[in-house]
Formats: sequence, C-alpha cells, structure tokens
Amino acid sequence: MKPFYLLIISLLCAVAAVAAPASAGPADITVTSSSLDPTVLMKGDTGTLTVAIQNNGAETVAIRSARLYGSGVVPLSESYASVGEIGAGNSKTFTFTVRADGGEGTFYPIFVLDFRDGAGSLRYPVPVQVENTPLSASVIEKPDAFAAGRTADITVRVGNPRPNAASGVQVIPQGTNFTVTPTSAFIGALAADGSGTVVFNLTPTAETTATFQVVWRNGINTHTADLALPIVFGEDKRQADPVITNVEVTPIAGGYRIVGDVMNAGLESARSVLVTPGAPATPTDPFRVYVVGTLDPDDISTFEVTFKADAGVTEVPVVVEYRDDDGNRYTATTLVGIDSAAAPLEERDGGLPVAGIVVVALVALGIAGAIYYSWRRT
Amino acid sequence: MDTGFLRVLLNPGRFFEARMQDEPSLKIPALIALVIGLIGAVSAALAANLIVGILPAEMQAFGPIMVAFSVVGAVIGGFLTWIVYGFVFYLFSMVFKGQGDLKRTLEFTGYGFLPQVFGGIIGAVFSYQILSGLTIPAATSPEQIAEISENLASILVTDPLAQIAGLASILFLIWSANIWIFGMKYARNLSTRDAALTVGIPVGLFILYTLVTLAGWL
Repeated sequence: MKPFYLLIISLLCAVAAVAAPASAGPADITVTSSSLDPTVLMKGDTGTLTVAIQNNGAETVAIRSARLYGSGVVPLSESYASVGEIGAGNSKTFTFTVRADGGEGTFYPIFVLDFRDGAGSLRYPVPVQVENTPLSASVIEKPDAFAAGRTADITVRVGNPRPNAASGVQVIPQGTNFTVTPTSAFIGALAADGSGTVVFNLTPTAETTATFQVVWRNGINTHTADLALPIVFGEDKRQADPVITNVEVTPIAGGYRIVGDVMNAGLESARSVLVTPGAPATPTDPFRVYVVGTLDPDDISTFEVTFKADAGVTEVPVVVEYRDDDGNRYTATTLVGIDSAAAPLEERDGGLPVAGIVVVALVALGIAGAIYYSWRRT
Repeated sequence: MDTGFLRVLLNPGRFFEARMQDEPSLKIPALIALVIGLIGAVSAALAANLIVGILPAEMQAFGPIMVAFSVVGAVIGGFLTWIVYGFVFYLFSMVFKGQGDLKRTLEFTGYGFLPQVFGGIIGAVFSYQILSGLTIPAATSPEQIAEISENLASILVTDPLAQIAGLASILFLIWSANIWIFGMKYARNLSTRDAALTVGIPVGLFILYTLVTLAGWL
C-alpha cells in the first residue's frame, strides 16, 4: 500500500506545480476600506487601524509583506513580514496599532504592500483624524450663595463637542472641606454633540473650591477634564430673616423682662425659632428661653424673655436662633437698650424668700389659733 | 387675758359685750389708728426716700418735703381707713336692720384694727427688705421719672417678697375681720350671721381685690 500512497502524493505535487499560476501585478490589488477605532484620536491616543484589500484580478497575487509607516501617527505594532498569496476575488485585512504623536489635524500614514518576484509594491495613504477637543462641563444650576453646613444642589452638564462618541463618561467631585452625594455620577456614552446632566448635593464646611472631574474614554484611552467651582460663603437672598420689633423692657424682681414681636422678613421659613437673652445678660426663670417654633415668611409671633444684668449694662443682645429646612443653625442678634429709664433690682440671694414664708406661716398659725380661741370662748 | 388689748384679740365677744356697758369712746380706737398710721409712715418714708433718689440733683432739695408729705399722708391714711371701714360696716349693717349709733360702730371698728398694728410692723420690715434691695438710677427728665416710677410699681408687684407681704397683710385683715364680726354684733345689735355678712362682704371683696393684684391679673 505504501508505494501507492507515495505515488498519489507525487502526482498531486506535480499537478500543483504545473497548475500554479504566474504572480499577477499590483494593479489587481486594491485597498477597499480603512477604519480607525476610535474614529478620531486625541494626541497621545492609541488606536487600531484596519486596512482591507481585495484581489480584483483573475489570478492569485503573491504578497511578500505589508507595513505601515508615517509621521504624526506612528505604528506601534510590527509589520506583516510574510503575507502569502491572495486568491482571485479574495480580500484580506491588515490591522495596525497606531499612536497619535503629532498635533491636531488629519494625518496620512502610508500603508505599503510589497509584492513578490519584483512585482513592485502598493502604497496607500490612510487618513487618520486627530482632534484634541475635550468634553466640556458646566454648572447649570447652583444656589445664589453658599453657607457653612447648608446643603446645596449643584447641577453639572457634560457635553461632547468632539466629532466622535465618548464612552464611560462620569463626573467625580474632588476637593476638601465639603461632603457630597453622590460621590460620583455615571453618565455613560455620549454621542457626538450629545450631553448628559448630573446633580450633586454638596455641603461645605468651609470656603473652598470644588473640582468636578469629568472622566471619559476615547477608545481605550482615558481622558479627564476639570471644572472648578469656587465655594464662597455669602448671604442667601431668600433666607429667613427674623426681625425683632415692638420691644418693651420691664424691670422685674431680680432683673428684667423683655416682651416683643419677632417677625420673619425673609422669603424662606425659619424653623425651631428660639429667643434668648445673650451675654452680658444672664437668663433667669421663668423665661430663660422662649420657643417660637416655625415662622413662615411674613409670620409674626410674640416672645418674652427674663434675665438679669449688672448695674452698668445699658443694652443687652436678644438672640434669635433658627434653622433652615436642612437643619442648619443660624442666629440673628438685636441689641435692646435697658437704659436709665429702667429701674433694675439688685440681686437678692436667689430663690424664694424662705424667711418671709416662715414668718407668714407662723403668723397664719397664730391668727388661726386666735380666731379659733375667740369663737371657742363665745 | 381677760383685760386690755389681749382680750380684744383673743376674746372679742366678751370684750365688746363689756364695752357695751360703758359710753362710746373714740380715744383708744383713735390711738390705735394713730399707731397704725405711724407704722405705715415708716414704710411710706422708706418708699418716698427711694423715689427721691430718682429725682435729678437740682430737685433733691424737695426730697425732705416729699418724705414729710408721705409721713403725714400715711398718718392721715391710718385715720381715714378706720373711718371708711366704720362707715362701710355701718351702711352694710343697715341692710340687716342693724341698730346702734355710728360712734359705737366707729369705736368697735377701731378696736378691730388692733391686729393691724402687728401687721403694720411686719409689713414695714418686709418693705424695708424689698426697698433696700433696689437701686434706682437718677432720672434727667419728667418722662424718665414717670417711667421709673411705673417700672418701680411693676417691680414691687412681681417681687416674691412683696407678694408674701401682701399675704401677711391679708392674714391680719382676716384677724381684724374676726374681731369686727363680734364688734358689729354688739355695736349694731345683729345676729352672728348678719354681723358676719356685714363684715365679710366688704372685707371679702377687698381681700379678693388684693389677691388679684398680687397675682398680677390687674
């Protein structure tokens, strides 16, 4: 059997040798397409360049090598050193890893096919676009003013002005002296000229600068763009504004009583409103502190506080404490004169006059006894 | 214990019954009213002295005059109070067809003021305690004088010691009322019930007024 097999193999080789066509010229080979992923590079980006060729002739074409070269966009991968033959009507693709080393613009790295047997070569310039325009971010909504401990809603819009899509877009707030929720926001893919919006709840503890870093991918390349937002404290034009009016100071035993009205002249509600006398006054019973509660805009409430003060004090601060909807505490102080028109009472040894009560109790007992005795003797 | 002032205080029934045997005399009741007026004058002098402190320096010369007026006013007030009470009891007893002359009513009313002597002494002590704790700034205008005086009144009303003093005065008034019941019973020849009503209604109203004032409702 073995000689029979050897015969058949020898015949097949002979037929193949006879039937092999002569190599055709480069005129039959054409570059049918080229593509780049990502479609537009940024400087320093790495991309994948794919070139497709087709043999349009009637005969097989032998290709020795395929390579890419150029400046501005340079190949990182090795060239195809031994390609082989491409049959009639067949196509073949070549993939190169390239990197944009130059500036912006359209570059034309050269794709070269070398044919065997001195048949020459095919040179084809492949257009590659490089554009450095980053994604743009902007704050489209923020409060008029920031305040320590007050939560502010900040809306950030990310736009894609690039000619190609961006993927994996996310926004990450960075910085110190604030807390933020969420700690990062994911937008995902942004088509060319598309945009996405994210909202952050930011609570500053001190004046600072919050940086919203936009992170995205262009192909396999990660890029960032920063948006700085200065957090400067100021007065909110809408915030509650408690105003004390109609104040009446009355001296009482052991100190003073202040009766007045507190009104919310702001545009937001003042919650948990407390009225207390401040230093140098010392709050005393029965109204050390007066709890007003919630004061809506234009609401008014009476208050009453009692306190004692040294003889030399001519005015004392009346402190209004209140909170906003987020629970942040604020104070407003109004000075109230307790000038010479008042008659302060020197401090007596505190509490009820026990000796006086004892005397009255004894007197009551004695009188009760006397009255009882007088009727008993009648 | 059956003679003198102790008898008035502890056994007024027997005392007035015995007094009915004699002619009405206003000497001792007047003496009691005088003593009460003098004791009241002490408190008045203390208060007037405090008010003088408010006055500006150029008006300080009027201080002694003010104090003198206060003392005289307090003494006259003692007599006036006696007479007013006497007339009130006389008029109320007329409702219950009481019989007896006005002089006798005034005499027994005056005896009934005896507990007020003790009440006045204790009241003067309380007044001293209250007023000595006050420091009054000097005023420079009549408006300030008026304002300080008003403030002073509010202080005296709200001071716990002043309220205790007020309670003590009510207690002594009740004691006096008890004596007056016996006094009117004999002076106006009333039943015990009518005498109690004659005294109880005006005194009760006065006590009610005092309590309301002390509570700060007025």
